[in-house]
Amino acid sequence: MRLAIPHQQRLPLAIAALGFLFLGLFLLYPLFNVFSASVLDGEGEKFTFANYVKILGRPFYRGAVVNTLAIGVAATFTTILISVPFAFALARLPVPGKAAIIALAAMPLVLPSFVSAYAIVLLLGRAGIVTQWLQSWGIGFGSIYGAGGIILVYTLTLYPYVLLPTMAAFKAVDVSVEEAAQSLGSSPRRTLWTVTLPIVIPAILAGGLLVFIETLENFGVPFVLAEDMPIFAVEAFKLFVGETAPNPSSAGVLGVLLIAMTSLVLLIQRRFLSSRRFATGARSAPPILRVGLGLRLLATTYCWAVVLLALVPFFAIVVLSFMEFRGPVLHPNFSLANFTALFERSTRPLLNTLMFATLAALGVTLVGVPIAYVVTRMRSAMASLLDVIATLPFAVAGTVLAIGFVVSFNSGWLILTGGPFIMVLVYTVRKVPFAVRSSSAILHQIDPSLEEASISLGRSPLQTFGRILVPLMLGGILSGFVLTWVTIASELSATVVLYSGQWRTLTVVMFQALEGGGGGIATAAASTLIIVTLLPIAMLYRLVRRYELST
Amino acid sequence: MTGIVIAGAARSFGTVRAVDGVNLTVGDGEFFTLLGPSGCGKTTLLRMIAGFCELDAGEIRFGAKRIDQLPAHTRDIGMVFQNYAVFPNLTVAGNVAYGLKARRVAAADVARRVDEALALVQLAGYGERWPHQLSGGQLQRVAIARALVIRPQVLLFDEPLSNLDARLRVSMRGEIRELQKSLGITAIYVTHDQEEAMSVSDRIALMQSGRLEQVGAPAEIYRNPTSRFSAEFMGTTNLIEAQALGREGAGMVSLRPEALRLDADAPAGWPRLGGSVAHVEVLGPITRFDVRLGDGSLLKVATLDEPHRALAPGAPVTLAYDPARITVLP
Repeated sequence: MRLAIPHQQRLPLAIAALGFLFLGLFLLYPLFNVFSASVLDGEGEKFTFANYVKILGRPFYRGAVVNTLAIGVAATFTTILISVPFAFALARLPVPGKAAIIALAAMPLVLPSFVSAYAIVLLLGRAGIVTQWLQSWGIGFGSIYGAGGIILVYTLTLYPYVLLPTMAAFKAVDVSVEEAAQSLGSSPRRTLWTVTLPIVIPAILAGGLLVFIETLENFGVPFVLAEDMPIFAVEAFKLFVGETAPNPSSAGVLGVLLIAMTSLVLLIQRRFLSSRRFATGARSAPPILRVGLGLRLLATTYCWAVVLLALVPFFAIVVLSFMEFRGPVLHPNFSLANFTALFERSTRPLLNTLMFATLAALGVTLVGVPIAYVVTRMRSAMASLLDVIATLPFAVAGTVLAIGFVVSFNSGWLILTGGPFIMVLVYTVRKVPFAVRSSSAILHQIDPSLEEASISLGRSPLQTFGRILVPLMLGGILSGFVLTWVTIASELSATVVLYSGQWRTLTVVMFQALEGGGGGIATAAASTLIIVTLLPIAMLYRLVRRYELST
Repeated sequence: MTGIVIAGAARSFGTVRAVDGVNLTVGDGEFFTLLGPSGCGKTTLLRMIAGFCELDAGEIRFGAKRIDQLPAHTRDIGMVFQNYAVFPNLTVAGNVAYGLKARRVAAADVARRVDEALALVQLAGYGERWPHQLSGGQLQRVAIARALVIRPQVLLFDEPLSNLDARLRVSMRGEIRELQKSLGITAIYVTHDQEEAMSVSDRIALMQSGRLEQVGAPAEIYRNPTSRFSAEFMGTTNLIEAQALGREGAGMVSLRPEALRLDADAPAGWPRLGGSVAHVEVLGPITRFDVRLGDGSLLKVATLDEPHRALAPGAPVTLAYDPARITVLP
């Protein structure tokens, strides 16, 4: 018998062991506790399915399931509907300002969606500015509360999930395939429908599924817009906060159901989409089509309209935050009062947001990059298992994971509730899948023979990781860090479950102001959040530009 | 100075026996080539020596020292990769210095040795360049300098020329051979190109399905193949029933195309065969043509270019062959 562990596998195995330990303790253990809460009685002692019977027996919660799924499907459909023509226009039509459009179109991905929802309320709600202005002209329109408004906000904030991959897919279509179709007698229009679109359908569906999962997990948008319509993530939160028994069985049931729904969607995606990749490996992007002036104007107007419309709510919030609020009522005078009110009370929420985002983004990088290394460089059942577990947080709503953390770490040998680290850890776990995905993408670009060259020249695998892989991955790691940082800064769904006392963040301040009707502070917090989000992105963009120019 | 001994090396991937009990001894300072079609196990065997592939059984020694259980980075090997594997984040000098710094060589020595190594591969003055500014051939020179500069016990080449264009391949293989001989470092070279293997090697191990098919000097394997596979893989040959050549005994023989000549050009003692020309290719220095014999079998013939000879398809022709160059195959 030889040495139990071959030398070249020791580093990946050590990393994998640490990864399993971390994810086991801070992902699987809390999720297990959510599950066990759902099958134990109120005292947490007896095994029972009564909780499921109780929850699913009530029309209110059955309604929550139906509403959540229906809104998700509708929003997926609308995002696809507006994104596919948009993507085609960007990839194949002569639209001026494409670089700017693409940069602006990516922004809703990093801006907090509940801020957009709140802006919609301020503009189009019952006492909204636009509503009142229209009413003064005698024009009325339907309510934006409930399903309609939620779908509108989801469409405006989630459409890039479909747009960006679909555009990439349109660009990856090998033009010779289209030429082959036309040489066989197919008209350009028929070629588009029978050749080009089928090739990009997997990309459209993959993006659509991301949208669907986001809508299932989203807490902030329905919290602002649903009013009395029951939505899953919100009801899970309300049940958890309102539960008085020692065992949060009802919240546990909703949590398990939510995870079951998202996991099911992900499984369907793996089953049906992974085998359907039609990327044709074009050597160069297909040419821009020559079209008439009319179509050209139409495409240009359409692209710019969608991009700007999606950003109007954020712009409006920034403008409104400099106006005077008396309670929830807005007065059109310039004022810094909202910001003074926000920061006079305390600058802690801002500092907390900055600190948590920094710590968690560091954590995500330190956990995600090594796991990506194992997943890409080791081909074994263990590596695939680690991959699956590291992807799991993607299927777990922030609210549910946070409930699991509270249940798991409020007593016993590791007590985290009430402190700052519980939030940092939840953020870290939630964003690990994104870091693993983006780092894997970079690692796939790096030829393994570079590592072997370094090792054969006398550097150990660990030194090779630090001296060759990390420098080569640095650009990708840095942009991953910034994107993670930004999304953590505007995290709401887990934060509202976990915050306590002095550890409130900007999103919590906004959340509390919304509950208490303090419109001024809410807009000031939202604007600050937008600035906190956009500054690092702008810095990253400049850095990347400079780097590209220098090489 | 190091010879290499490989004893009973074996490795399976799933049900595939990639390396299936290989025994081999490579002499000190020898240029030894592992040759074979893709999937024959030559790269796996090389990676076993380098330490990137574990052995299921057997052992590998450098001189008296067993190395197959040492971590790859302690084996003191210089390796040159097919895709160069030049670190893109380091300059040319940084690449060449990489192994020296890993060995904690003093800074002044590093600079001197890097310059020497770059001069050796004709890249003097290229130290400050970045890899993306170099051509494929230059990148491979950097990779070679990087492997030589650490003065390794053993040099390993993993199809180092297959990404280069044809002309560069020919000149680079000569340079590699010359460098190896002048430094006297034992080298193992992997290739699937029979001509490349014959031009650089002291000895060749021809591999198939994880096993050694035949080991010997290039000319020896070419002239005396011990199997049908050896005969066919080492250049072009005619595999033909002995009886078709009018010889005693059953079984296959191998007869190289250049061992056949036209009747008029051959010595009187060689046996004659009648047939008709089937196909002619004038390739420049040599002319290849196929002759169909009376029993229907086809013989490939190669002769030097001869402007005064007319060979038309269908024309009757009499061939002669050198009986000493018949190899009887088992």
